[in-house]
Amino acid sequence: MVVVVIMTVIYYLLNPLFILLISPLFMGIIKKIKAMAQGRTGAPVWQPYFTLHKLFKKEIIYSDNSSFIMKVAPYLNIGFTIGAATLVPVLFLPPEGSVPANIILFLYLLVSAKFFMALAGLDAGSVFGGMGSSREMSLSAIAEPITIITFAAIAFVLNTTDITQMFATTASNSLTEFPTLLLTGVSLFIILIIETARVPVDNPETHLELTMVHEAMIIEQSGPNLALMEISHAVKQTLLMAVLINLLFPLGMPDSFTFAGVALGMVSFAAKGSILCVIIAIFETSLAKIRFFRLPSFFMVALFLSFVTIVFELIL
Amino acid sequence: MNDPLLIAVIIRILLVLILGTAVLVITQRSLRSLFTIYSIQSLLLALLALVLYWQEGIFSLLLISLLTLVSKAIVIPLFLRRLLRKIPIKRDLEFRYLTPISSILVSIGLLFGVYRLFYKLSDELNFEPLFLLGTVIGVSLALMGMMVIFSRRKVITKTVGYLTMENGVLLFGLFVAELPFIIEVLILVDLLMILVLASLLAFGIDSTIESFHERLRNFGMEAEE
Repeated sequence: MVVVVIMTVIYYLLNPLFILLISPLFMGIIKKIKAMAQGRTGAPVWQPYFTLHKLFKKEIIYSDNSSFIMKVAPYLNIGFTIGAATLVPVLFLPPEGSVPANIILFLYLLVSAKFFMALAGLDAGSVFGGMGSSREMSLSAIAEPITIITFAAIAFVLNTTDITQMFATTASNSLTEFPTLLLTGVSLFIILIIETARVPVDNPETHLELTMVHEAMIIEQSGPNLALMEISHAVKQTLLMAVLINLLFPLGMPDSFTFAGVALGMVSFAAKGSILCVIIAIFETSLAKIRFFRLPSFFMVALFLSFVTIVFELIL
Repeated sequence: MNDPLLIAVIIRILLVLILGTAVLVITQRSLRSLFTIYSIQSLLLALLALVLYWQEGIFSLLLISLLTLVSKAIVIPLFLRRLLRKIPIKRDLEFRYLTPISSILVSIGLLFGVYRLFYKLSDELNFEPLFLLGTVIGVSLALMGMMVIFSRRKVITKTVGYLTMENGVLLFGLFVAELPFIIEVLILVDLLMILVLASLLAFGIDSTIESFHERLRNFGMEAEE
């Protein structure tokens, strides 16, 4: 019993901390690969850490029109995201039943974070913020049902809504037991692209009025508040990547806490995450941004594959 | 290596991938990628036939696999690409009746409908689950090909729709009815004929069927109307 409590405590400390620390690195890797694909040298992969460090030292400027929402939104945002980070094991699997890692809770935490980000975008009363929030919310209205159906399909395949148990099931079986996870893997990848504001959906590089969605929402943020928003964005990306990785390639994930196991888990997750980052960066460079009103057809591919997964599982 | 469980797993993965290519055929706009997707789909079908041959040892399955590989995965895409070089369009952007989004929604409906239908039949026909799956996917693939035929305007994309439909029929045939081998060969000859016709019409293939009628009328070939 004591062992279980200790392991749970270690899990709650170590897991979010590791995700927080590694997330900017993944951002840096994607930026670097994209730069290389475009024939530039690009900033070093550690650049996001320097940027965050710089932002934390700067002062915060609030618009005269902004209310308390602007002040609390970054903290709520990062809070919800870290809350979600406790639900996705990346280093080792916590003892069964000790973490309430419900998949629906996980999704709602991410959506709440997004909600406050959009609210902060509206709060300052600037044109760009409002535009970004309105775009983000209209995309969410289409993407959210697809996300839920995809996760429902995963829950249906693996017979559980508990993230820890899902990871335990995929870790102890080979992928050939659940070939339909390949389909949901594609859906998850599309959701990852949508939720992290990447190229066919949004362009994370620019502050161009015509294209930006996510950047427009956080345009009024400054200093440490901006840093918190950036971190929460990076953490969200790592979380979705972790779900994808641990469902499809759970190799190297220890099922209980040992020092060697956790070290191995760190190395293997960092390696697999970096590979996924390279794939994301290549995917991003090989596509052009899709016109806003054509985006639903990109989302629908994810929906279709999730439905197909459900039909597959009904038959077999 | 002749493990039935392993074979079942391979068949499942191949079916998963075939459906993946089907949805891409519906939504893809670039013609070059469309042909590549078709060729991958045919390759997967050839592999599937090979795996079934491995399992059941019926010689005609091996022949079907080889024929599919040579004709549909290599020759026909090659032919289509040569055609593409001659015509001035690179992408098919015109849809009618159904946009890509609604096509995907309709094909989800189709898949469920076909599943319900065959599920009712499966008790009486004594299907194994795997064969039910293959049948459902084969029929849906054929219907999705049909959807491509009527939702696209360009003749060349319609051809790909027809080819996809034929792949669906072949898949259905692999799993359910043991089609006589000679019929498979005849279908292939038909496919090649369609391509030859398509390339004969290459001067008009970049246009829609409607404008083609217009052109024929100008030549006085539809004078009876």
